[in-house]
Amino acid sequence: MKSITSTIVRVGRKPAQLGALGAFFDGQSAQAHAVRLSIDETRAELVIAWGNTEVRWPLAEIRAVPDQAEQGDLVLMWPGAPLERLMTDESRIAVRCPELRKPVVKVSRWRIATWANAALASVALIILVLVPRMADQLATFIPPAGEKALGDATLERVRSSLDGTGVGQLALCDAPEGRAALDKMTARLTAGYELATPLDVHVLDQKMINAFALPGGHIVLVDGLIQAAETPEALAAVIAHEVGHVVGRDATRHALRSAGSIGVLGLLFGDFAGGALVLFLTEQLIQANYSQSAESTADSFAHEMLSKAGVSPAALGDMFEGFRKRFGDNDGIVAHFVSHPSLGDRIDAAHRAIQTDMQVRPILGDTAWQALRNICR
Amino acid sequence: MVSHAITSSRHVKNSARLKPFPYLGGGFFVLGLSLSNTEGSVESDNAPTPWNVAREAKDATQAKKTPLASGQVQGAFVGRRGRVFWMALRFGVYTLLTVGMYRFWMKTRLRRWYWSSVRIGGIPLEYVGDPLEKVLGFLIAVVFLAFYIGVVNLLLMFASFSLFQGEYPAYILSFAGVIPFWFYARYRARRYVLARTRWRGVRFGLAPGAWGYVGRALALWIVTILSAGMLWPLKTFWLEKYVTDRTWFGTVRMEQGGRWTMLFRPFLNVVFPGVGLAGLMIWVGYSERFKGGEMAAGAVLAVWSLIGLVHYQVQAKRLLANAKRAANMGLVAEPRTRTVFRIYVVGYGIAGIVSSVALVPIALAGLIVFEASGGSMGAVQEILAGMPVWAAPVVGGLSYFAMFLMWSALRQAFVTMPLWRLYADTLSVIGADAMGQVQQRPRDEFAEAEGFAEALDVGAAI
Repeated sequence: MKSITSTIVRVGRKPAQLGALGAFFDGQSAQAHAVRLSIDETRAELVIAWGNTEVRWPLAEIRAVPDQAEQGDLVLMWPGAPLERLMTDESRIAVRCPELRKPVVKVSRWRIATWANAALASVALIILVLVPRMADQLATFIPPAGEKALGDATLERVRSSLDGTGVGQLALCDAPEGRAALDKMTARLTAGYELATPLDVHVLDQKMINAFALPGGHIVLVDGLIQAAETPEALAAVIAHEVGHVVGRDATRHALRSAGSIGVLGLLFGDFAGGALVLFLTEQLIQANYSQSAESTADSFAHEMLSKAGVSPAALGDMFEGFRKRFGDNDGIVAHFVSHPSLGDRIDAAHRAIQTDMQVRPILGDTAWQALRNICR
Repeated sequence: MVSHAITSSRHVKNSARLKPFPYLGGGFFVLGLSLSNTEGSVESDNAPTPWNVAREAKDATQAKKTPLASGQVQGAFVGRRGRVFWMALRFGVYTLLTVGMYRFWMKTRLRRWYWSSVRIGGIPLEYVGDPLEKVLGFLIAVVFLAFYIGVVNLLLMFASFSLFQGEYPAYILSFAGVIPFWFYARYRARRYVLARTRWRGVRFGLAPGAWGYVGRALALWIVTILSAGMLWPLKTFWLEKYVTDRTWFGTVRMEQGGRWTMLFRPFLNVVFPGVGLAGLMIWVGYSERFKGGEMAAGAVLAVWSLIGLVHYQVQAKRLLANAKRAANMGLVAEPRTRTVFRIYVVGYGIAGIVSSVALVPIALAGLIVFEASGGSMGAVQEILAGMPVWAAPVVGGLSYFAMFLMWSALRQAFVTMPLWRLYADTLSVIGADAMGQVQQRPRDEFAEAEGFAEALDVGAAI
């Protein structure tokens, strides 16, 4: 122990008459030491002394413990001996400590960065690789009844999220004549097909130009699409395309995927932002950006189905053509149909699928088509 | 060995307010805390050194000396309401602006403030947790939980649809699967907070044992549910004992004394109205009568059970605290149910009323639209359609956030802080003369901090 070189407390410009007092904790035991404080000017150190002991802290490195409730007092520390604490109401000491408010960094930035990257990578791995892979596998194992239940639940969710008022569910259109026309069209398309689950075609009362497949044989046509279709054959082509997705179980995969990833995103962003993400993902489900191969498989399925039903596969191409004319190549509303770059290829493929010897019969009469167009009225 | 000196809480407040120099005056000179040390300390030599003169002058200004037993030190809370309100409000805004990232800093800084507000024998507690280690802990928890939520939930969803044709079995199983994690997180969070709490420069600590806690918590919850809640005190006591017996202050281990049956008396005020309510329900179901008499009885029983729950919460805390020991030291806690109940009613009342003011713009806008429309729904829709698309979400969002921020800041200022103040002001430590023998304990590194608690929203105190 060094002897005290200066017992005069010089905390301000003038030497203080009385010694400053404080309580010192050495971080070794819970013993409180009543200490006298002085400043060694030659070495710029705070001298904390009691009995025969003294502790010296460099003035330039002394920090105040932040966010203290009692602001009249000082609770001081020195990062060089992080367990020691000095408590005093001699606030003039503060003037002599230039780094008093500088934060002390205790956790290595590298470790934070490493774990942040690991966390992001693992979340990405789970959402982008693990969950989709597993969903694809599981989708082929789910029994028809389970798939149907999954589809029912998804349809409910879609109807709630599309409802503008945010309280109820979007209405399904069921005008009897229109329904009959729609059933007739579906029956004609599916004649001769053995489907694992019976088709369930719904019409949603909304202006959006869209159609999508959900698990368990649910096909949802949005009224906007029915109004936009120029011929019943064009609409039949869309249904055939969606049946392709049903048969390929693409929608089941998507629903399982979203079941797996919604929770993870909710975890990352908390309840508030998580809720918004769930909505966004439901939206994604409707937009249903399937893979290129799933789309072309559904397309060729549609070509075959249309041919068998005596409808020219060109109808699918016509539908795309019509959209392109009206909305351009990449309008958001028709994103589902035009999202993939090769719209032109798909039109060509539809035309190539026409067999020269096929018997083309109209799929609906004028009256039935008008009834179908009025299904939401 | 130790005497239970009882002081009134009124007196405690006086002693806390009048202390001009809390570290030396009220803290250990009067109570002889540091006098017993072997080193020749300042106060042992009576020579008129400047320091002695200064100290005596300060002592003289102290009007009242604390009439506590020898070796008993009184707790006090020195934080001010206004400060915590502005801190909570400001940090809330930062949290919002950083999409939730600031919450780790908010938690740390509020804890530092609360801890430093609590002074036992004039010496404040210190919270030394670091916000960055909380971020780290959260990230670690995310890695584990992302797997659970992503993969396990997907499998559950698949099994649930395949076997039960519905999603609810998956939700129930998934929830049930989280329960053990929840208890685990609670114990780990406690361990983290204790490991980062210091008093008199010495660390607290909680020995590892989270899975043991999970097992006991699950078993005790099952017992409680099977006994229709009658064995709730058993659960309270044994879980508290498990944690307390693993709690350390430096090298001194704490011990939970007492018996679980001691919690039964305060619990009677939950049992009686509970049984009454059950009886009333059976009566209403049987007689199919629900008129004035039944309503009045129901209301009285409901209020009684509410007060009874608060009473149990406060008195269980008091009884458990009084039965805690650490070497020769012990606690004396004197909180009153009445005060806690008043804090709840007044605090939540103020927070609710003031924060709902944030909804005034929405209501006003609604009123204006309604007036302008002349009351017809068609016109209302027309006006709404005429508004810019962003108007409704922006006004609604701002009001929502304003209300939320106000609510949480006011709750800090009028509920959390007064509760802390009550518990600190009515707490004293006995046998504190032995404090000098308490040695430091090694640091508990604890990389995951309270990450699981954060991710699972265990609802830690602050």
